[in-house]
This record gives sequence, C-alpha cells and structure tokens, in this order.
Amino acid sequence: MNAQVTPLLEISRLNGGYGAVPVLFGVDLVIHPGEIVALVGNNGAGKTTLLRAISRVITASGGMKFDGEDLLPLTPEQVFARRLVQVPEGRQLFGRMTVEENLLMGANRRGNRAAIARSFDWVYGLLPKLAERRRQLAGNMSGGEQQMCAIARALMAEPRLLMIDEMSLGLAPIIVDQLLAILDTIRKQSVAIFLVEQDVFAAFSVADRGYVMETGRIVQTGTAQELSNDESVRAAYLGAEAGA
Amino acid sequence: MLLAQIIVNGVLLGGLYGLMALGMALVWGVLNIVNLAHGAFVMLGGYIVYYLFTTLGIDPLAALPIAMALMFAFGYLLQYVVLNQIIRSAMLNTLLITFGLDVVLTYLAQLGFSADFRTIAPSYAGANFGLLGITVPVAPLAAFAIAWLLAGLTWLLLNRLPLGRAIRATAQNLVAARLYGVNPRRLYAVTFGIGAALAGASGGLYGMISHLSPYVGAPLTAKAFVIAVIGGLHNPFAVVASGLIIGIAESLAALYVGPTYANVISFGLLVLILVLRPSRALRAA
Ligand SMILES: Nc1ncnc2c1ncn2[C@@H]1O[C@H](COP(=O)(O)OP(=O)(O)OP(=O)(O)O)[C@@H](O)[C@H]1O
Ligand SMILES: [Mg+2]
Repeated sequence: MNAQVTPLLEISRLNGGYGAVPVLFGVDLVIHPGEIVALVGNNGAGKTTLLRAISRVITASGGMKFDGEDLLPLTPEQVFARRLVQVPEGRQLFGRMTVEENLLMGANRRGNRAAIARSFDWVYGLLPKLAERRRQLAGNMSGGEQQMCAIARALMAEPRLLMIDEMSLGLAPIIVDQLLAILDTIRKQSVAIFLVEQDVFAAFSVADRGYVMETGRIVQTGTAQELSNDESVRAAYLGAEAGA
Repeated sequence: MLLAQIIVNGVLLGGLYGLMALGMALVWGVLNIVNLAHGAFVMLGGYIVYYLFTTLGIDPLAALPIAMALMFAFGYLLQYVVLNQIIRSAMLNTLLITFGLDVVLTYLAQLGFSADFRTIAPSYAGANFGLLGITVPVAPLAAFAIAWLLAGLTWLLLNRLPLGRAIRATAQNLVAARLYGVNPRRLYAVTFGIGAALAGASGGLYGMISHLSPYVGAPLTAKAFVIAVIGGLHNPFAVVASGLIIGIAESLAALYVGPTYANVISFGLLVLILVLRPSRALRAA
C-alpha cells in the first residue's frame, strides 16, 4: 500500500559492528513517513547496534538512505541535523543540567528562537510534568520523568524520524502506557517512530509494523497484528504475557 | 598592620593563581586531561606580552587580549591536530604527552628567549597607593581584578551561551552530546583553546608582578593543579577563590618561615592531596 510513497528510512543488506567485531548481518528494514515501526529481539540481538549504525556512531556498510539521501558518509552531527534523532538506551541525559537545558540541547542545531519557543510549547503541552520540573536537575528526577525528559529533548530537534531505544526499561506499566499514548499523539503530528523494545507486548500495542531481530539478522517481519498472532513470535517473546 | 599587609598581598597574588588554575580546571573537567604543560602555556603567554611590550610598545594590559587570541589559536590547533588522537586513551598517556610537551616548550623557550629573567615593566608596574594604612600595589590589584573578570566571563560562557552549554553537556555525557549535534573534536579544541587563552592572560599578568624565565612553568603547573583540586572543576568562581587560599598561605609562609618557603606550600599541599585523596585528585574532581 505504501509502494508509491518514498520510504523515510531504507536500510538494505546493512552490515555493522564494533571495530573488527561484526554484529549486524545483512539487515533489511524500511520505515515510511508517519509510521510506528517496532524492532524487537532478545538481549544482545543487535538492536542498539543498529541504532548506533543509523546515527553513524559506529562503522557500517551496505545501503542506508534517509529520505533518499545516503546516510553512510554522514557524521553523527549531520545525521542529527537531518532531524533523524535518537533517544538512546539508558536515557543518557545531561544529569547536572536542568530539564530546560537538556531540552535546549535538543534544539542545539536550530537558530530560530521563535521556532524553538514553539517547540517548547509543544513539548511542555505533551509532557506537562516536565514544565513543572523545568528548573530541576535532570539527574535528580525519577526514572519515568527522566525518560520523559529524554523523549522531550529529542522532540526539541523537531525529528522527522524518532528512534527510541528501550523506552520501557525499568518503568512501571502505568508510566509505559502514558508514554505509549504520547508516542501515538506524536505520530499523528507526522513524526515517524522507530521503537526498539524488549517489551514486545508494549511495542506491538502501538506499532503499525514490526521486525524481529536475532543475532544481528532480521528473522521476521509483518504488521504488528500478524506478529502478535504468529506462533513462533508468541512462543519466543510473548510467552510470559500469554501465560499470565 | 604587617599581618594585614601580608594578607592583602596574598589575596592579590592568589587571584592571579586562581586565574592560572581556571584554564587547567576547565580542560581537566571537560576533556579529562590534566595538562602538565599548563604552566608552560602561562610562560608562553608571559613572553608574548613581554615582546609585544618591549618591541612594539603595546601596553601590557592592552597586549593581554592579543596574547589570549594567540594562545587560543595555539591551544586549538594543538588539541585538534595532536591531542585529539590520544584523548580517549588512558590518563597516563595524556599525562605523558603533556609532560613531554612541557619539556619541549621549556626547551624551545630557552632557545628562543634565552634563560635570562625578564620582567614586564610598564611605568605603573611599581606604583601603589595607601589605603587604611596598607600599601596597595597597582599591578597585582589589576591582576586580581582581571582574574575575577575572566572568571566571570568564563562563567557566563559556560552557563549562558549555547557554546558553553555544549561544553558542559559534552563533559557530562559524551555519548548523548554526539547524538545531539556536537562535534567533540571541534568542541574539545575550542575548550582547550579557551584554557590556553586563560593561561596566556595569567602569564602576561604574572610577568608584571613577578619575573619570567623558561623555567617558571613547572611550579605554576603544580600550583594550578592544587588549586583546581581544592576548587573543583565546575565553578570558575570557586577556582579563583581557591587561588586566594594558596596566595594567602604562601604570603604567610614567606613572612613566618622565610621567603624561600613560599613554593613549599603548594608542593606540600600537592603531596598531601596525592597521599590523602589520590582518587579524588585523579578522578575528574
Ligand atoms: N561497545 C561495544 N563494543 C563491542 N561489542 C559490543 C558493544 N556494544 C555491544 N556489543 C555487542 O554487540 C552485540 C549486540 O549488542 P546490542 O547492544 O546491539 O544488543 P541489543 O539488541 O541492543 O540488546 P539489549 O536488548 O540487551 O539492549 C552484543 O553481542 C554485544 O556484546
Ligand atoms: Mg540495546
């Protein structure tokens, strides 16, 4: 159905890893504008490594295009300037800076003050709790607030594609649900989302499509519905939830 | 009255020591490099001001910004081309490299400037005025004021400007800074350049109230190190304030123990810190 639409992110036969250690093997993956795409897989499957390759932090080879432009020769700062933005695993906030300063780092490459002010309004509107906490040091907040801050920082870059690594890690289910609802709102404002999760249940509750990764390879893909009903996926990733 | 006079002298000198430590603390806190050549940068800044004054007749205070600009360029290039290659390696490597740099700069200074003592002596160098029975020397007072001024500017840069925000962000979380549009190589070069510029300014002032030789660097590095450990690496005002402690302690030691013992204070504190708090001293304090 999306055949006519230019993919926002198009990855083909991508290899990558750390120095001489290969981790990714021939990864194929496509994200279209406005989609939420989930990537699931066990510990060490290579999900974070794929995000690092996309953000050009580690070496990679193969095909990788963002809105038609080859990503491979770009530096991380150039990828960021293209508004392909990552919320990294473990949040990685600037802990001794205030929430507001963290958000300003998200707008690091933008010069237009009026547009930045609009982004602040947008982000604080989505996450009112952060508006209350603007003067607080990011490192002193609860895990849920820190994850909100990390997402907000990324939104301040006005991302076209937002990549979120392990958003749910260590958070209470109710907070995860709140964050998922916010992602659904953001997507309606034409931000595509690439959601990397171990919480497969949570990921498939908002995603349109999904990919399953095992030891650096994509082993399965389909709509979120198809994958949630797939026997092997259920057995491998949804076992606990199905039994509970 | 003598005691009050000694303390005033110590405070004025201590401000300058604090300025020397400011650049070292900035570089240490952001790049995690303890720059053992920092004192040599101070020395170079001093010679720049000395030659601008003696050959071109530029007033030493007016020459300070020029020395800062030159030292910034020197520091930027040094970091961008050389030190960036080793920045992520073990601290021992950066210590060795900057120690080597100190040796090289000292040697080159000896070749280029000779081993003679030099003093930057504008007409007002020896001037002073009386205040409540205390003699206030003009040049150290100017050095003191400029030290606080530069600490204030550094604070403004770090806390109010986007460049400073990026510098602090990179110091706190390199991974995130790279993902959020910071080019660490360039940012480190800018930061190292600022550190060198601050060293350069302090060198020009030092040459006015003391004397320059190619060998002044090493003891100044030790002093700056001690002050940075006491003052911490994050607040410019705390660094300059810590300089006052060293300045006062040195003046008191000179009075009660003897002038040759002034340096013993900072070296003694250095040894004490390394014995009592080695982990704090070598972790980015
Ligand atoms: N910095 C690194 N240097 C070398 N190898 C690494 C590095 N980071 C990860 N790896 C290896 O790469 C492989 C994939 O790790 P990665 O972090 O991408 O997995 P993941 O799917 O994100 O796992 P998790 O769900 O636990 O976050 C693992 O075998 C891991 O040991
Ligand atoms: Mg991971």
